[in-house]
Amino acid sequence: MNAAAALFSHYRRHPLQLVALALMILISTMLWSGMNHLTDQARSSLGRAEQSLSEGSQVIREDGAPVTVADFARLRRAGLCVMPWLEVPDPDGVGRLIGIDPLAAACFASGAMSGEQPALDGEPFIDMARAARLAGSPGDEAPPLVLLAADSVSADGLPTGYALASFARGPDTGELGASFLLNLDALGVLVLLITALLLRAVYQLSIVQRRDSFALLHRFGVPGKRINGLLMIEVLVLAGVCVLPGVWAGAQLARALGEGFGRSLEGLFDVTLYADGSQWWRSILVMMIVVLIACLPVRTLPHWLKRSRGVGWLGLGLLAIGMVWVAWSPGLVWTFVAVGLVFVGAGVLVPRLMAGIMATLSSRVDDPLGRWRYRELGVMARQLALPVVALQFTLALVLAVQTLVTTFEATFEQWLDQRLAAHWYVQVPEGRSGDRAADWLAQKLEPGTAAWHRIRRGTVMVDSGAGPSHRVDLLAVSPIGPLMEKWTLQSSLAHPWKLLADNQGVLINEQLALRYGVGVGDSLVLTLNGRVQSRTVLGVYADYGRPSGEVLVNGADLPADFQPEFESFSISPGGRGEAWLVSGFERIWQVPEIEIRENSDIRAMATRVFRQTFVLTRAMTFLTLTLAGTALLIMGWVFITSRAWYLQLLVTWGLSRREAFGELVRVSLGLTTTVSLLALPLGVWLTWVLVHRINPQAFGWSLPMAVYPGFWLELLALSTVIGLGIAALMGRQLRPGRMVALPANQSGGGER
Amino acid sequence: MTPPVLETKGLSKSFVSGTERVDVFSGLDISLAPGQSLSLVGRSGSGKSTLLNIVCGLESADCGTVSILGQRFDTGDAESPRARERRWASLRRQRIGVVFQDANLMPALSLADNVRLRARLAGRSTTDSQDWLQRLGIGELANRYPDQVSGGQRQRAAMAMVFAMQPDLILADEPTGSLDRHTADEVADTLFALQADAGVTLVLATHDTELAGRCESILDMAHRNDPGPGG
Repeated sequence: MNAAAALFSHYRRHPLQLVALALMILISTMLWSGMNHLTDQARSSLGRAEQSLSEGSQVIREDGAPVTVADFARLRRAGLCVMPWLEVPDPDGVGRLIGIDPLAAACFASGAMSGEQPALDGEPFIDMARAARLAGSPGDEAPPLVLLAADSVSADGLPTGYALASFARGPDTGELGASFLLNLDALGVLVLLITALLLRAVYQLSIVQRRDSFALLHRFGVPGKRINGLLMIEVLVLAGVCVLPGVWAGAQLARALGEGFGRSLEGLFDVTLYADGSQWWRSILVMMIVVLIACLPVRTLPHWLKRSRGVGWLGLGLLAIGMVWVAWSPGLVWTFVAVGLVFVGAGVLVPRLMAGIMATLSSRVDDPLGRWRYRELGVMARQLALPVVALQFTLALVLAVQTLVTTFEATFEQWLDQRLAAHWYVQVPEGRSGDRAADWLAQKLEPGTAAWHRIRRGTVMVDSGAGPSHRVDLLAVSPIGPLMEKWTLQSSLAHPWKLLADNQGVLINEQLALRYGVGVGDSLVLTLNGRVQSRTVLGVYADYGRPSGEVLVNGADLPADFQPEFESFSISPGGRGEAWLVSGFERIWQVPEIEIRENSDIRAMATRVFRQTFVLTRAMTFLTLTLAGTALLIMGWVFITSRAWYLQLLVTWGLSRREAFGELVRVSLGLTTTVSLLALPLGVWLTWVLVHRINPQAFGWSLPMAVYPGFWLELLALSTVIGLGIAALMGRQLRPGRMVALPANQSGGGER
Repeated sequence: MTPPVLETKGLSKSFVSGTERVDVFSGLDISLAPGQSLSLVGRSGSGKSTLLNIVCGLESADCGTVSILGQRFDTGDAESPRARERRWASLRRQRIGVVFQDANLMPALSLADNVRLRARLAGRSTTDSQDWLQRLGIGELANRYPDQVSGGQRQRAAMAMVFAMQPDLILADEPTGSLDRHTADEVADTLFALQADAGVTLVLATHDTELAGRCESILDMAHRNDPGPGG
């Protein structure tokens, strides 16, 4: 037998350890590369959305009104190279189609949109005529027309009443999109960190168990360098064999989660997820490096760091700095750095804290068996520090994500209830006005028993006085009545709805407030159809799931010539039924058929779509938790195997095997329960960071902070399952006739 | 006539190695009166440790009877394994003290706590652990942990544990096997002195012929003879 065979014979005796190691590398690779695959796609899709026409510009009307076909004709007649651009939803699937006019595009030959149109590769372009037909489909919001300007068009050359503006598809997602990607990257790094910790834990155990073999080989004349080289080859072979199928499994995982993730991207940023190929070689390279780093021996630590107290103080210091930093961090990157510091601090402190708690408890217990139990737990906390910390991080992450998602669902449902308070929803047909319908409703419905309002949407230029004007969404509602007064406002002046009804100001959404630093009582200058008005901000309302800023005005305050891009009615007709409404509207609008929808249907659909938003996050945290739980299970098993002698000693001293198994269960449960209990404060803190720091910085809107003790119980139940799993695996060691030999290196007393 | 503390009749044990059945011992008869001492000698694999494990219930024989401290365990009995396990556990807990070659102590407990734990399990809640350690000559080490004392001191602590439980029978498996000659002699002196003082029955498995000779009778497991007079 040569040195290599002697070294690797360890796995012949411990095949499960090899299987665990291989599985861990494979699952880690799958999780990270799956995550990375989706992040790559999102980055590419967001990049396309922003870059495809980032250098382009559009012609807008100075009066703030949307451009029309008439404007296009006038500009072309003036000899300017402009092209109509109309984005419509794809009727056959998820995503959007873009209508362009190829003839009008001909003059872009020397411009950014010219020639091979490299920026447009892969975009689903269709002819303008077809896009216009799709835009007119009943039930869809009419999209705004954009007039793209070629590079040759200058502001000076435009006719009076027009101006040049930069063109970006959809809302300005630049910073938010980057933050979203940063969130995904952070989640990916966290997954990588946790899996690296677990890998290291399992591999180090095999190293510890082989220490005697290494010493023996060294005494037999095998140089230390050769042993290290063989170990390196072992790691490389193992990584090579497991990383490749892991990357493949990651691609499958990304495919499985792709639909939900695509919906998230659309819901959050109006960006279609393009199924690009990920750079798989990068995943392989990164995972190989991670596996190598995780399995390489740690070089000697500085002396002061080796001392337990020094490390404890370091951990405490990092924890404190991270917590303060999070509260004051100016941006998302710093927030993540601070969260990282807190995690490192907690990771350093927790095993020591657990050992300290157990030492204190053992000194307070008079029963020597109870004292032994606490002492054993203290040893476990130190010996299993890496998987314990990984499990704690994962439990904290699961708690935070679960709380965030549940809070989001609860808040979103309440928000939907408020927005869809009316029973019926009717969209004004293309080419019709809502004026007569509004008069009819006002005439026929009694305010006491029925309620309704008219919604008109468009865009408005807003100047907050702190920078350039911005075009934001406009939501005009009239009359201001009971359907709106139940809206929960994040902040407001006294009696905001009455003030709005009296045209004393406007309300704005949270996104606009956060992005432009506008608050209640501030003044906004609104430019709409050439009319410039200063309005006070009466209140700020939550507006989930989209990045656009929005101003809510009283519909009665709109200029007479305002042309809405979209118009609808929300109606609770009291004693009147659907048929009455349908016939009334058909008569007024002179259309053969109108579409009237129950808000409860819309609500159900919106809830379904929104729940997709967190499918990925939930799946990733669940898989990471499974991995961490399995790792602790394996590590606990290996650890208790090394302590099995002492359990058998209890049997020798007269405990029945059942009683000894009871002690094993107590110790296992004690470990996992303590980990869970210590994970709870970290999880609650992480929830706070997600809700109050990361979410507003990443998405532009925030959620109320909530805690769900039910989740705590769920996590405790989960840790109980893991603890029982360790005990059940170990119970085999206590079967009659299975006296386990004491490890040679423990004859001197073993770890304490 | 005083009934024997330990009596075996027709005790046999074998194991399977590959496809071959290997007899460890068969038809073994032993009888030990209170206060008697017996040494088991023989080469490695002759069944010394296996016999000790069987007479304290940690392993079961293939056939035969073990009568110990008034309780009878017959491989032919219809008694449920759980009930049998309970009876054995009760005997080990209160009346049989076991000393191994190594690692008789819980590493996470101090020497004093180890003695207290063993005595408490035996129902001797008032035992003064410090006193027993003192009698074994290691009183000043009471608060140290097993890895902080020498091998000889650990074996003395192990004996303190056994005597603190005031057993009727002590089973010692190579109790001095890992110690140097001088320390081994000291530990053996202490063991036999306390055994004689307490009138406890002792069964001792050892390779050390000198140590074996200090018992009243010797059983050579490799070339089995009837237990004869020691010395």
